[in-house]
Amino acid sequence: MIQILQQLVTSVSVGGLYALLAVGYALIYSVFDFTKLAFGGIMMVSAFAGYFATKLGVPTAAAMLVASAAGVLISVAVELLAYRPMRKRNANRLFLMISAMGVNIFITNLFLCLFGANLRALPTGFSSNTIALGPLRIGVVDLLSLIVSVVALVLLTFFLYRTRAGVTVRASALDMSTAGLMGIDVNRVSLIVFAISGITAAIAGMFFGMKYNVYPAMGSISNKAFIASVIGGLGSLKGAVIGGFLLGILEIMVTAYISATYRDLVSFAVMMIVLIFLPNGLFGMGDQNKL
Amino acid sequence: MYIQSVIVTICTNVISVVGLALLTGYTGMFSLGHAGFMCIGAYTAVLTHLHLGIPYLLALLLGGLTAGLVGLIIGYPTLRNRLRGDYFAICMMGFGTVVRLIINNMNNPIVKGSTGISKIPQLTTLWSALFITAALVFFMWNFVHSQFGKNCLAVQQQEVAAEMMGVDIVKTKLISLVISAFYCGIAGALLAFWIQYISPNNFTDTKSNDFLATLVTGGTNSITGPVLAAALITTMLEYLRFLANWRLVIYGLLYVVIMRFRPEGLMGYREFSFRGTLRFFRELPARLKGIREKVTGRKGGV
Repeated sequence: MIQILQQLVTSVSVGGLYALLAVGYALIYSVFDFTKLAFGGIMMVSAFAGYFATKLGVPTAAAMLVASAAGVLISVAVELLAYRPMRKRNANRLFLMISAMGVNIFITNLFLCLFGANLRALPTGFSSNTIALGPLRIGVVDLLSLIVSVVALVLLTFFLYRTRAGVTVRASALDMSTAGLMGIDVNRVSLIVFAISGITAAIAGMFFGMKYNVYPAMGSISNKAFIASVIGGLGSLKGAVIGGFLLGILEIMVTAYISATYRDLVSFAVMMIVLIFLPNGLFGMGDQNKL
Repeated sequence: MYIQSVIVTICTNVISVVGLALLTGYTGMFSLGHAGFMCIGAYTAVLTHLHLGIPYLLALLLGGLTAGLVGLIIGYPTLRNRLRGDYFAICMMGFGTVVRLIINNMNNPIVKGSTGISKIPQLTTLWSALFITAALVFFMWNFVHSQFGKNCLAVQQQEVAAEMMGVDIVKTKLISLVISAFYCGIAGALLAFWIQYISPNNFTDTKSNDFLATLVTGGTNSITGPVLAAALITTMLEYLRFLANWRLVIYGLLYVVIMRFRPEGLMGYREFSFRGTLRFFRELPARLKGIREKVTGRKGGV
């Protein structure tokens, strides 16, 4: 019993990070209607930025800010250089996806060539510390990542539903061209959305770096987040969060009680089963009801 | 021998890319896991040949058919529900990963798990590879220029309108998935009997990405475009071997730049023909002049 509880704590903290990444996918999908496959690359770059910042003696909290800044910067740069000119020409969604994939391959392999494939431990000073909570032992990193991701998700909800800028984002998600006609600056909305997705990617990247390591191929973790957002329903924030936590729990349980080799297999299989019975995911609705 | 090897590699790439051209280019579905079909084709052909004594050509066909069948099995539930393109893409990625993981974990003496199967007889020759490629490309050419190819294009351009006109969308998508899986299966089998060694890790996502890059470079609505691109890129990569991982950097950049400036690819909606090429070169001076005038004109304006 204690062991199951212990695994549950770990899985919830992994799930929080998946949820954070999945929300990024959901946000971009809801506004732009395409899946941005470059998330992994952006996450990896921000984790590297955080890594180099801590190497230079910056405290972890500040390194998180550096990573977020890097995430925002690169996310917005990709939007300006790659996606926006294509959207302007009303490019096929397929082409946008291919372009996003290109960005991902480019960034990942650039870092592979520049820094090598070796794993770098993110020096935090508390990576291996644990807190004893009754019979449970909770890793400080796990706890911290859960707290930070929950706080980030709450802040994001607050932003989307309680601020003026958030309303413009939601309006664009509903119907971008109409929102544009109503006087909403759609280009600003796109910058906001990409900046937010950069921040969520950076936070997730930093924590994955602390939990595991920082390395160029770490972006493949974002595929899991894609699965999470598909399970939850593409374009649905609520779905992305719930999908993220579900996937986190599923993965840790499979790793603990079946075998780590079958982890990815089970995740993909569950995703396919969900899609067969619920073609729009758990919370995905038709094209009318997004966000 | 080296040149032969390059040519056979080109052939297998051409087959897979032409298969993918039907699915991604004509029908407009994005797949991130076609290496999985190659893997299935290769393993089926090699295992049936080694253990059941099926002759070479039949084994190739069997590899292709098995891949097609798997495509049907994976495609029916995913396409029946009219999954949106993104869902389909991630399903295919999942499929590719699952195939690799399953074979990696089958540690019995027949499949040999992640160690892979070695000492496969080299039955693919230069001529058989060339002949099979030519035949398959010819079939595909006829196929996309038939009524069915037009249905595919209609589905890609306007799904709702196509349905209104009486095109069975699910069936069209399913058929193009099965055919592209069949092509990839045959390509995998052909490759396995040439390089004499297969392991599931030969068929990673990178390979799926390679096919997509080649297709995109060649042009998504053309058959000759991807064929040319496959030949060009494979040859280029042989000569750029010293670049190692930088080639993937270039790939990524290539995707972005092509999508940004010429999303229709090398050939776009046209097919390669000698007459067209001649015309292109005859008109080249005039075009260059036009571009020069445009550039200088813009400079003057500023």
